[in-house]
Amino acid sequence: MKPSLLAKKIGFYAMIIIVWQGLDSADIWPDNIFPSPVDVVEDLAYGVADASLFYGIGTSILRLIIGLTIAIAGGLVLGIFMARVETVNQTIGSLVLGLQSIPSIAWVPLAILWFGLTDTGIIFVVVIGAIFAVTINTYTGVKNINPSYIEAARNMGAKEGQLITSILIPAAFPFIISGFKQGWAFAWRGVIGAELLFSFLGLGFLLNVGRQLNDVSQVIAIMLVIMGIGILVDGVVFKKIEDKVMTRWGLR
Amino acid sequence: MGKLESRNIEKYFIHDGKPLKTLDGIDLNVEDGEFVCIVGPSGCGKTTFLRIAAGLEKPDEGQILLDNQPLNNTGPDRIMVFQEGALFPWLNVQDNVEYGLKIAGIPKEKRNQISHRYLDMMQLTQFATSYTYQLSTGMKQRVAIARALVMEPDVLLMDEPFAALDAQTRDLLLVEMQLIWQKTKKTIIFVTHNVAEAVMLGTRVLVFTHRPGRIKKEFKIDYKRPRISEDENLLPYQQKILAELRPEVKK
Repeated sequence: MKPSLLAKKIGFYAMIIIVWQGLDSADIWPDNIFPSPVDVVEDLAYGVADASLFYGIGTSILRLIIGLTIAIAGGLVLGIFMARVETVNQTIGSLVLGLQSIPSIAWVPLAILWFGLTDTGIIFVVVIGAIFAVTINTYTGVKNINPSYIEAARNMGAKEGQLITSILIPAAFPFIISGFKQGWAFAWRGVIGAELLFSFLGLGFLLNVGRQLNDVSQVIAIMLVIMGIGILVDGVVFKKIEDKVMTRWGLR
Repeated sequence: MGKLESRNIEKYFIHDGKPLKTLDGIDLNVEDGEFVCIVGPSGCGKTTFLRIAAGLEKPDEGQILLDNQPLNNTGPDRIMVFQEGALFPWLNVQDNVEYGLKIAGIPKEKRNQISHRYLDMMQLTQFATSYTYQLSTGMKQRVAIARALVMEPDVLLMDEPFAALDAQTRDLLLVEMQLIWQKTKKTIIFVTHNVAEAVMLGTRVLVFTHRPGRIKKEFKIDYKRPRISEDENLLPYQQKILAELRPEVKK
């Protein structure tokens, strides 16, 4: 990051905190409705001190990783099948488009009925929330592969199975990575949403606890943590992978 | 009996809902070690013929024989060099060149040994770890040729591989291509729309007619190698071929 850009960003966030503190000092709203930045930081510090925050983050992230891994594996298989077998596309493909329009949170009641208030239920919501984004992007990616790549590989002796791992997935990777990114975003929303309703450990659960205790600073603190993890994954993890892929694949 | 034989190949494409004849009975006998160039107007089916020979497309009539065996699929005995190279951008130069060997299950050490030989032949050794986005068009075609040669195919099929190159790079590669052919003794079928290129490379040049493509005439080019583009003694060959080609281009 350029120093001038960094300065701009620091200035911007410093301003938000100053305005926030100013509004709090003006005593327009009571502290139990509108906490000061210091209250929020204190709350985060408690969370760090008794490790409940780390436990919450760890629980949510673990659910996310398990769910997203299943969604990525399933989405890749489904997407490639749809792209390579027209019948699969005409049948399952239309269903996938329909299912993708259901917000992941709408799967929660079904997940509770099927799996009870368990980890499996939450992971189910994460998987179902992320899998279709991975599927559709993989499908689009495979459909958009330069046909010469496939012809060259077959000409050099690649069989269908070898074609999938050595050509289809790497050639479609710029699209597939967008699918992972979308899938992660859906999964992250899904895990927090599901935890709120399941109220069974994790950051979503901590949000709910904050609400039940009328502890606004805890609610805001947890929201900041959720946002922070989002920024970290999007802006660091995915940005690095995307930059590398775009350059190597000659897309920039 | 030749190395590669084409017997009465016919091909139709569907155009505006009607079948359009693209190839009209291609009979061709390519001897082992021959360098056959095909020239023709654009749309004459010369690329289609090459794709059929590679097994990437099926003919509607006729068949292709390799060493007298009829073929109906693609395979590493006839390797195609595509017009735009079709290199894999996610692999570096060396991995691109080794792709076919890896698919065939050849162990890494052996693969490296083979690829080094051809990387060296194509003067690519110092670019072994480069990715395609780091290469010029000329370099990419060198990699594509190395990737094809590594397979040690019976027949090398080249589809206008130098069409996108600037004149200097092309002249250089045209000379190198002759040296490679002399060194490897490969049987090559080379499609181009450039008559000068065909005369420089070919032991034989075939002129295709305008669609539907037929072999209109063939010319033997008996001349010492390596032939260079400035050599005026090649001009009479070019003129004779152009005289056959010109009416087809105008159709």
